Amino acid sequence: MPAPVMNSGPADRAPAAAGLGRRFTGFGTHRSRPHRPAGDWRTNRLAYAMVAPAFLFMVMVHLVPMLQGVAMSFLQLNQFTLRQFLGAPFVGLANYRAILFDPENPVRAGLAVAARNTAIFSTVVTVLVLATALGVALLMNRNFRGRALVRTLMLLPWVVPSYVVGILWSYMWHRDTGIINRILVDWLHLLPEKPFWLMGPNTLWAIILPTVWRAWPYVFIVFLAALQTIPGDLYEAAAIDGAGPWQRFRHITLPMLRPAIAIQLLFQIIQSVYAFNIVVMMFGNGSGYAGEWGDLLMIAIQRQSFQSWLFGYGAAASVLLMLAMMGVVALWYRIFRQELIIR
Amino acid sequence: MTPQAWKRVHHAILALLTALVVVATLFPIVWMVLSSLQSTADLQLGRISLTNPRWENYRQMWANVRFGLYLRNSLIISGITTLVACSFSTLAGYALARFRFRGADLFGLAVLSTQMIPGIMFLLPIYFIFLWIRQTFGLPMVNTYWGMILIYTAFFTPMSIWIMRGFFAAMPRELEEAALIDGATMFGAFLRVILPLSAPGLIATGVYIFLNAWDELLFAWVMTSTADVATIPIGIRLYIGQFQNRYDLLMAAATVTTVPVVVAFLLTQRWFISGMTAGSVKG
Repeated sequence: MPAPVMNSGPADRAPAAAGLGRRFTGFGTHRSRPHRPAGDWRTNRLAYAMVAPAFLFMVMVHLVPMLQGVAMSFLQLNQFTLRQFLGAPFVGLANYRAILFDPENPVRAGLAVAARNTAIFSTVVTVLVLATALGVALLMNRNFRGRALVRTLMLLPWVVPSYVVGILWSYMWHRDTGIINRILVDWLHLLPEKPFWLMGPNTLWAIILPTVWRAWPYVFIVFLAALQTIPGDLYEAAAIDGAGPWQRFRHITLPMLRPAIAIQLLFQIIQSVYAFNIVVMMFGNGSGYAGEWGDLLMIAIQRQSFQSWLFGYGAAASVLLMLAMMGVVALWYRIFRQELIIR
Repeated sequence: MTPQAWKRVHHAILALLTALVVVATLFPIVWMVLSSLQSTADLQLGRISLTNPRWENYRQMWANVRFGLYLRNSLIISGITTLVACSFSTLAGYALARFRFRGADLFGLAVLSTQMIPGIMFLLPIYFIFLWIRQTFGLPMVNTYWGMILIYTAFFTPMSIWIMRGFFAAMPRELEEAALIDGATMFGAFLRVILPLSAPGLIATGVYIFLNAWDELLFAWVMTSTADVATIPIGIRLYIGQFQNRYDLLMAAATVTTVPVVVAFLLTQRWFISGMTAGSVKG
């Protein structure tokens, strides 16, 4: 888990505070002195009081419902048993078996298609977002007039509400009158005839591009900020030693950016696997089906749960998805743990 | 080519690339605003005229769908959520940054783990918890402002705690130490010394929460059904679909929806960008 990772507190200055006496013993980051027992109750009381409201809300709206969600995955919860909620008949692992192994089950086929799309979608989105953000950050990491303005303008897509992004792009992808086909076919003549974007395999691109469009600006700002912390002397020294632009990028820029890249990579993976808003709004304003090439896991689970009333299946699929994501995060942590130590 | 001429070409290419990126990035937003100023008939033919903007659409959209109600609901729910979640995360973020207490590591881990739970997983349980609260205490939760505010506060507090924690951790500890020597209590030092210096962090966190609350869709669909409490993502769907196909009004409404967040962002971007990048650059 990434928990201890982003601990970027300053070095512990406890010695300076030693003369302040007993009241001060509570201070100090837990990271720097992990083996000391926690402070006494009197100093801790304030800390607990400050954490309490957030903790209470997290228990109420995260922990309890999540445990109930896991419990739901073991129940036969459908339109007939919905009123009993957690009192619905217990069926053990039957939901899991049905969505993983039962070839007769239509839900299984739907989820498999959605899982394939989600895998392609989140891989392509993550790669495109990071690559675009890095490329544009390198491009903009120089002094030119209007830089501050350009930087602000670039962030605008990220501020546009995601449901607006979905509505807007579904309108732009429209086959006959949409601007994208007009540019590609009528103006640039890149394609012989107007393709359908919201049907067939093209759908994957039609949902990937808006997602990338909205996501990359934020990553770009983070990368640009990271680029500006790289001391210029490093490049000068490397240039004197005869390193070309590619070598400087490869041996200075990339290593210096690795921590920022690691964090953004993880956030992008989580966000795109759990993507919902933009894509769901692109098809019938949230009431339509995106088709065999546009259906994503979160949307498929939502449909199974709230349109087909198959809550048990939906819960089992959510649990599996969460477990898979935990595996991804663990893998990510193994690869990048070196980058995450603050030097 | 002389080195000078080569340098000039190089600059020109970079400038051209920059301009291309800016145009491509902003084009969809510009297209949305342009489309909102056309007539339905023109949009259906795929025609856009730049010379004859129909400002009328911005009058009509409020009558065609009761958009004012949805906008009001979104403002109230997102606004109060921002205030509450910002307070909660400031307190918890400060505790995590400055105190060692039993369970601090576990709490920090739990804060991040919440981001791993797919929202769909606790949608139905929360719905049933809300029904249970109503049956047991007689307090309606579904279809209420406070129900939505409760959910959104809980949703956006964890990441905000993390932002505030990084912000407080970067502040020099001598600030509180001086106040403590002067006889302030620890909470007093936080309240009178640290908090006034935290405006940039608070603004960054506040904007983050507001943007996310404004953006929420799934829970809004399930937890609100009457126009009295439903938010924009519900109302905006009414311009097209079964009964009408008013893309012009839809685009006008989309523009109106985007304006408050863009304004909030532009007013605060100086602090927002530094606040949001401070934690993530260092990792």
